[in-house]
Amino acid sequence: MQLTKQQIDYCMECGVCTGSCPISQERPGFSPRQMIKRTLVEPDGNILQSDDVWACLSCSRCSDRCPVGIDFPEFIRSYRQKAKVLANLPKESHHGIFQTITTIQSGTLHQNRTAWTAGAGTIKEKGEYFYFVGCAPFHNPVFKYLDLNVIDIPKNILKILNALGIEPVISNDERCCGHDSYWGGNEELFAKLARKNVETIVASGAKTVIFGCPEGYATFKEHYPAIVGDLPFEIRHISEFLVEKLPASEITLKKSVNGTVTFHDPCRLGRRMGMYEQPRQLINMVPDTVFKEMDNNRQNAVCCGTTAWMECSSCSKTMQTKRLMEAKQIGAQTIITACPKCQIHLTCAKSNTDIDVEVKDLYAYLAEQL
Amino acid sequence: MSGEFKPKIIAFACNWCAYSAADLAGVSRFQYPPNLRIIRVMCSGRINPNFILKGFQNGADGVLVAG
Repeated sequence: MQLTKQQIDYCMECGVCTGSCPISQERPGFSPRQMIKRTLVEPDGNILQSDDVWACLSCSRCSDRCPVGIDFPEFIRSYRQKAKVLANLPKESHHGIFQTITTIQSGTLHQNRTAWTAGAGTIKEKGEYFYFVGCAPFHNPVFKYLDLNVIDIPKNILKILNALGIEPVISNDERCCGHDSYWGGNEELFAKLARKNVETIVASGAKTVIFGCPEGYATFKEHYPAIVGDLPFEIRHISEFLVEKLPASEITLKKSVNGTVTFHDPCRLGRRMGMYEQPRQLINMVPDTVFKEMDNNRQNAVCCGTTAWMECSSCSKTMQTKRLMEAKQIGAQTIITACPKCQIHLTCAKSNTDIDVEVKDLYAYLAEQL
Repeated sequence: MSGEFKPKIIAFACNWCAYSAADLAGVSRFQYPPNLRIIRVMCSGRINPNFILKGFQNGADGVLVAG
């Protein structure tokens, strides 16, 4: 994205972006305000050579607060592809395994990504609802070392959907949504994945696509139309879908056994999609829930520390530990997340500290009380 | 061309055991099929899961880690 002339003129250099940025607090010299200014003077200047271009988490705390609406994450993203051409590459986490998995998925291949549904619930080949599972089947083997079964997230969502009498379509032909390639500066790969996914969903005959992962939802909503035009189906995030369907159903939830709980807003679901209330309403549907907010909640929530499987650093770890401490300080025993990546990152940070807070997925919290 | 399937196999072989064994096979003039491509690594501990996936991404039908 090139900044518009008006935005450039309106940038007051107020520094709210830098003041809001969780990276600036930990990483010396990282300043969104200065990066914008430097780039205006010298459009292809040192921003392309600097590793600062990869440090932004795209958590959107800056753009959410910017008085003139400069979308800094999008601005920095637009430089990433050019930086790659100049061999300025990000440090990929987990040896780059997720980037490779994404690339492999853009080609012709036969996947087995529905095996987990056996015993978890019933699905259909064609139908009105398509459940877009996302990367969980691939995350699962990688994060075994954290004692984390990422696949439990889709299992629980399927369990809830089945309880509502919905048998969704889950497809072996689903691909990565392309979120990480989009934010990692690989637009060509992103476009390929977007086209393949839309093709698969259209072929299933689904009218509504339900997303469990905020990243998939945000990517379809924000970035797919530029590639495939208006989406020929409706897209819903599972939290808004359940807020609508659960009270109308005959399901009664059992009492909570998790003590005091708090909610960690995922950046994509919160700031980028504006869904702050739906997950909270879901949590409060469980009887006897003791819910407390952390100091930084909703628009002010702090990112879980890493985006797009790159640049995990001491800075990320500090952010994650601070977040867990925040939950501890308000007396929460459980921190509920609604994004698989937030759950992975917070669990990883927790394994290196003695902070005694359980990290739990929102849909596990609901499904356990069915 | 015959219809026989000849898989392309990439072998990551540890310098101190598997690679030495392959080397010894060569010195002893044993033959092995050309569809096995050996990459020497100084230790099989050098291999991470992404090496294996990259192998598949670049068209390998099988990946052998030996060490």
